[in-house]
Amino acid sequence: MAALQEGIYHAPGNRPGRHFGLLFLRVADGVDAPRAAAALGDLWAMYQGLKAGRVRDLDGVELPADKDETTVLLGFGRNAFKLAGTALARPRGLADEYLFRSADPDGGGPLLRGSGLSYAPDVHANMATEAFCVQVIAESKLAVDRAVVETWKALADAGDPVLALTTFYLGNQRNDHRSWIDFYDGLSNLRSEDREGVIAIGPGTDEGWAVGGTYIAFMRLAIDLVGWRRLSRTDQELAVGRDKRSGCPLVELGEDGAPRADPGCPVAGTQIFESANDGPFAEPPEVSDLAVRASHVQRANHHIRPASDFGSRRIFRQGYEFLEWAEGPPGFRAGLNFVSFQDTPGRLLKMMTAGGWLGGANFGGDEDKHPELASLLSVYGAGIYFVPPVVDGEPFPGAAALGVALASPPPPEPAPPPPEPAPPPPEPAASPTGGAAAPQE
Amino acid sequence: MPYDAPGHADELSDELRERWNETIGRAFAAQNEALKKRFFTLDPDGLREPRSSDAIKWPGDPGKPAYCVGEDNARALSDWGLTGRRAVQLEYCEYMIVSARDATGALRPKRVEITTEFREFWACVAMHDPDKVRAMAAGVLGTEPTWEELYGVGDPRALTPEEREIAFGHACAGHGNDRRLRVAGVPAQPTGRLNMERALFMTHPINGIDDLIYVGIFGAHAYCVSDRDLRRQASGDDVFSAFKVTHLACNHADPTISLGVYDLVYHGKQVAFANPLGMYIREPNLEVFSYAGKALPADWVRFSRGKPGSYMRLEFGPPDDHEAFLDDITLSLGAADQPLTGGYQLLRELEIGPLVRVGETDPIAEDEWEVLEPAAATIACDEAESCQAVRDLLVRFESEHAGRKAPRTMPGAAT
Repeated sequence: MAALQEGIYHAPGNRPGRHFGLLFLRVADGVDAPRAAAALGDLWAMYQGLKAGRVRDLDGVELPADKDETTVLLGFGRNAFKLAGTALARPRGLADEYLFRSADPDGGGPLLRGSGLSYAPDVHANMATEAFCVQVIAESKLAVDRAVVETWKALADAGDPVLALTTFYLGNQRNDHRSWIDFYDGLSNLRSEDREGVIAIGPGTDEGWAVGGTYIAFMRLAIDLVGWRRLSRTDQELAVGRDKRSGCPLVELGEDGAPRADPGCPVAGTQIFESANDGPFAEPPEVSDLAVRASHVQRANHHIRPASDFGSRRIFRQGYEFLEWAEGPPGFRAGLNFVSFQDTPGRLLKMMTAGGWLGGANFGGDEDKHPELASLLSVYGAGIYFVPPVVDGEPFPGAAALGVALASPPPPEPAPPPPEPAPPPPEPAASPTGGAAAPQE
Repeated sequence: MPYDAPGHADELSDELRERWNETIGRAFAAQNEALKKRFFTLDPDGLREPRSSDAIKWPGDPGKPAYCVGEDNARALSDWGLTGRRAVQLEYCEYMIVSARDATGALRPKRVEITTEFREFWACVAMHDPDKVRAMAAGVLGTEPTWEELYGVGDPRALTPEEREIAFGHACAGHGNDRRLRVAGVPAQPTGRLNMERALFMTHPINGIDDLIYVGIFGAHAYCVSDRDLRRQASGDDVFSAFKVTHLACNHADPTISLGVYDLVYHGKQVAFANPLGMYIREPNLEVFSYAGKALPADWVRFSRGKPGSYMRLEFGPPDDHEAFLDDITLSLGAADQPLTGGYQLLRELEIGPLVRVGETDPIAEDEWEVLEPAAATIACDEAESCQAVRDLLVRFESEHAGRKAPRTMPGAAT
């Protein structure tokens, strides 16, 4: 039985932890698939220990990990399938046409032809394309940070260098449900009943071993807050497609040129991110006003049914904000760790490049009129990874792809010994039906 | 019914317009009465508080063969000249690859001709106005065809309208599953060169307005699933499994139309195909194509038969007098730069669909809900029986191409 890995919070009411880390692991030159698998198996065991509160350097100490609710997800990049001894072919979703382009060695360069997203000028190499990635999500920052450090320890302790932690990205969710551009974010994620059909690779593929898996797409997107804040509130709202304060989706421009949301939004007494608004308002309606249709939320969702069909270009997003020091004004870099899960990366890439969608756009809105919008987002790293399903008998997800044989199913439980003769039961309490009394706990 | 010529591509006389609307009306009338509910109408002008919807569109590449035999094989089959066109191009979009010889004498793809025009419209015009249909064909082909090419006879004006319809069916249109034409001996696919060597308009019976109306009205029902005493919206698996039409789930067009209409109906709307009824190609992002590292020259992308946003024809590739060929064009997808060798790659970059109008309607009454059983399983589109025809076709393709080099020159392409 194959199932999605943990760390994809698609079930109703299943909220992701507040803290996020994405680690990238490179395989040393000359290392083949079996050796990489052994190293990954050791790492995976270490992660399971961390989730249970065990740290290898603190033998016998149990850390308070139960409130961390840590999840660990393992992804396979294109390079994993180049290792000698790999048992399975590179999945179709890791074909070159479903991957991001490399950064220009001189800095910058388009992320995709046909998209308005580019690498930042100071990015000379994309650090998010390695053989493996590990997503760690937890309720505490310490749990995520600890996973990074413990990964380094485990790899450093290995006799021969097999895997190296090349980089990692951290992020966190905001308790105000907003992003650094001050708008609510993540509201129009998929209807819960549509999610698994969008995320999980379904039957009907010639890659049976991939069924139940998914693909993770990652983009480290920096936001030009200086340019963003030069825009008026109206222009910001038309770029996003929502009211800045309420988060309600815009439906039209009024006669005064001001964008308008549905006057019934949000449901009285609630805020837009509360579940009462999920049905009527979280997903922006289809609109005919061209200015509103040019907004980000309208370009990203054309309301095509069924969501499970590739043509809908729906994806399941699970992003985390970040803030880090950076040289030059404003002295920091704020942005989004964009993360999405989908049964094929083609959904995302077509959404980003197709005409009428986000094709040619950096973010959305009127980018000709407002050049700030045409360079609002810049990329600091991006990658696509296959997330193998969890399969019974595998020491870690995807182990079979690296040539690891499935463990034999456990032997059947031995027959229980014959019970000791029970002492004579107490006299049953008198019962009108003659039944026995309930057993004692 | 108020429908004008598809795409407003042609000026119609009042009489011809009436005949076209009769054609649409017959396609609707032929559907099972039980399928017709108040949630679908052929009168977009009668909708209350109408608005347009762009939510019913799909990628133009054939979906079914990709489900059955994978994308690489689907591409080979779809690009397999007339055989591929007639076997797998079933998404309301047909194309032909026009080839030419390069300086070395090799046959190479020169351009792709894509059409989304309904055969019913062309047949209607051909039946009632031979001069008009000849002018339409001349506009598409670039040269005026002879009467023989269009009708197989020297003077179609001497025929009755019914005889012209039959003659045009033989030469250009096929029978389109029309019982009268089948009885008259018209083959399913035309036998004349105009619409075999070129893509004049769609000819496969599945790509007709009767099928479009069928999948539309099939979705225009108040379906729901009762789940733990709660009424919920049915999924595609629920709907197609309940009516034992799981094959409808396994392409791009049918589920998008049916479930797109159903989604609107479930949320209390009434739906109509917008005027003009047609199948339209959405504007693609041409930035993904390049030639010699630069944007494509404007005259390499020739939309016609319609207006911006509602074109029904696309000719894609260098003009005949240019030294370049189709496979000199680079298609940049993700991290890959690949030569454009045929129509399948191009269709993946296009979206196709009708234009839809949506209006308010009375709330769904309790007795209008059609409660379905939840689907027992996800529909598997690679299921052996439904894929048999595609797999058989692939066997044929492989046997015909055994030992050949990879098709830089297109198999079976027209010259």
